[in-house]
Amino acid sequence: MVVRTMRRGWTLLRTEVLVLPSRIVVLVFAVGLLVLPLFTTDPYLLRILIMASIFATFAASWDFLAGYSGQVNFGHALFFGTAAYSSALINVNLGISPLLSIPIGALLAGVVGVLVGVLCLRLRGPYLSLTTLVLPIIVVSVFFAIPDITGGELGIRRVETITRDRVANYYIAVCMMLVLCFFLWKLGNSRFGLILHAIREDQVAVRAAGLNTSRYKIMAFGISAVVAGLVGGFYGHFVRSVGPAVLAVQLSFEAVIFGIVGGIVSIVGPVAAVFILYPLTELLADFPAFQEFRLLAFALIVLLVLLFMPRGFVPWVRDRIEQVCPSCKNRNTRGRKRCRVCQTDLSD
Amino acid sequence: MVARLLATLVWLVISVLVLSSGSALAADPIRVAVLGPMGFLQGEHHWRGAQIARDEINDAGGVDLGGERRPIELIQIETNEMLSVSDATTAAERAITRNRADFLVGGFRSEAVLAMQDVAMDYQKIFLGVGAAHGELGERVQEDYDTYKYWFRVSPTKSADLGRQLFAVLASVAEQIRTELGRDDVKVALLAERAVWADPLVQAAEHNLPNMGMEVVGTWRPSAVATDVTAELSAINRAGADIIFTMLSGPVGIVVGRQSGEMELAAVPFGINVEAQKAGFWQATDGKANYLATLDTYSPVEVTEYTIPFVESFIERFGEPPAYTAATYDAIRVLAQSIEATGTLDADTLVDYMEETTFRGTAGNLKFDERHDPTWGPGFVTGLAVQWQDGEKVAFWPNGWQGVSYEGMRPFRFPTAMRED
Repeated sequence: MVVRTMRRGWTLLRTEVLVLPSRIVVLVFAVGLLVLPLFTTDPYLLRILIMASIFATFAASWDFLAGYSGQVNFGHALFFGTAAYSSALINVNLGISPLLSIPIGALLAGVVGVLVGVLCLRLRGPYLSLTTLVLPIIVVSVFFAIPDITGGELGIRRVETITRDRVANYYIAVCMMLVLCFFLWKLGNSRFGLILHAIREDQVAVRAAGLNTSRYKIMAFGISAVVAGLVGGFYGHFVRSVGPAVLAVQLSFEAVIFGIVGGIVSIVGPVAAVFILYPLTELLADFPAFQEFRLLAFALIVLLVLLFMPRGFVPWVRDRIEQVCPSCKNRNTRGRKRCRVCQTDLSD
Repeated sequence: MVARLLATLVWLVISVLVLSSGSALAADPIRVAVLGPMGFLQGEHHWRGAQIARDEINDAGGVDLGGERRPIELIQIETNEMLSVSDATTAAERAITRNRADFLVGGFRSEAVLAMQDVAMDYQKIFLGVGAAHGELGERVQEDYDTYKYWFRVSPTKSADLGRQLFAVLASVAEQIRTELGRDDVKVALLAERAVWADPLVQAAEHNLPNMGMEVVGTWRPSAVATDVTAELSAINRAGADIIFTMLSGPVGIVVGRQSGEMELAAVPFGINVEAQKAGFWQATDGKANYLATLDTYSPVEVTEYTIPFVESFIERFGEPPAYTAATYDAIRVLAQSIEATGTLDADTLVDYMEETTFRGTAGNLKFDERHDPTWGPGFVTGLAVQWQDGEKVAFWPNGWQGVSYEGMRPFRFPTAMRED
């Protein structure tokens, strides 16, 4: 049984992962993250990678909604913040363990996601983006109006951590990111994802094909919100406090920036962007001369990437190491003579 | 050839001696991380205050640690706390683990400082807060002493004491109105920006002022970023207020200063006006904010023997007076004194010493209470109240309050319209 499973795993690895350089890079990245604590347990490095994992998942959840289904959400922090606040409130007021309060917070974020999806059903393009942009601002105003519950400007303090052990927190964050991003990637490439692609390209045609586009769009909002909510909840318990910053416009725009810089409709793109830009800006902070210009440096990098890689970093790299088969549209390593799936001649 | 070799050798020996003597001072410095939003005035003044303290201590030979002179080395940490709490926590951890800071000073935004406080306590690092006023920072020390005992607040006084100071100054202004202007019934208008921090102050004012013999004629709540408050000021004028009790932290403070001057109101604004604490306030209001008053921390008055030299040194070096976050100066001097007295860098020993000792600071005698907040009141830190008089920010309080007076204080003055009224 074990041998058969291992054999199936190896076959899958050989035929699905090791055949494409981009997938090998992702595999090396994932394995590298998982074995890193065997070589170093530097708490600062682990903190950076924990934060990067949280924001990578958050950005990937934005990509799933905006990239795959075309619902360009400018207020994605709403889902992150809703879960962070509700999980922290449940934990602080009811004494419920973070292991339970985080999923509850994520489910509440999912409910909010569905509500937003319903609210925005008839909106498209900039109208949808602007509506979603103001929603977290409204929520912050409401939170400020009820400081006895939400802590007002200061937020909720004394939030319990899942564990004080940095390595354990690291594994929770990294495993959450790997599992959730893999889930989003698989979903994006499934039939469900194909329908989302189709809705993004031509909603009328999809409706004409007899599919309920409203249902799919609402589901995309809900799924994206739950994923953002899971890491939002974890964030609150890791930092041990939750304040208005988790609903800030800046956080929403960070998701958009990471998504666009990394390359949308890829899930891997936003993750790559976060894992490059977040540690890089931290690295710059080590140099006093750069400290005040950290945000400027960040903006400059973003501008340069968008100037030279308009489709984002990951698609740019992928186009240089892989090529698409003109016949079956599957990707192949650049330089292959024949397509690995349909054997079409790729030498042209 | 031999002469050249000898000369080279002599140079080499001299170089080694010079370097080693220099490195005796720089070999093992005491590292103090200055945390703050460095792109903002608050963080800038954190850094400037700390620089003056460092230079004074190092010029005097460094800190005597068990017979060995050790210099202070400052590490500037940009927390980005105005925008991101997670950045602030990461910065605090970077200061401790990567920069190997022995102590942390600074912090401004309460939401971020609470999160940074947790990080510092995890590492049992002494963190001297300079900037965040929220009471919760000290409450944590009281409630969970073993975890949070490494936190001390140098400045400002906690928000409850800030309220007590406000009412003490208000009572003094009201008394002056009664005696100088002959009005027995002092009327107060509350002008507080729409922000959560101002809510308890508004409630306290509505409750306390009638008990203090003052009549509250109304409450006005403009936005913290309002660009026009003529409607509010006209209403206040019609209500016959003598004092406009301000609770303003945002740019609306400048608007209130300018427009109250333009309208020649027969009332004097006093309270908290963060913009009015800044050196550029007079220019920002086009010189219209004459007689506007606010609470403040630093002024060239002799609160202690350290105040005037510090303020003058700050102005000479940076061309403007210090903001209250420049109390990093006091924080570093507290650390230096504690290290010299105990002869150790051990956090627990230093905490014991700091709890027992009264430090002489630039804002008064600094004695930490059971919450590790500065004790407020006569003989300790009192704070100051300042008034803009003909382009100059002068201190007018405490001037005899509970027997406390500092050399260099000036009398509080009323706008001409109030005298004519």
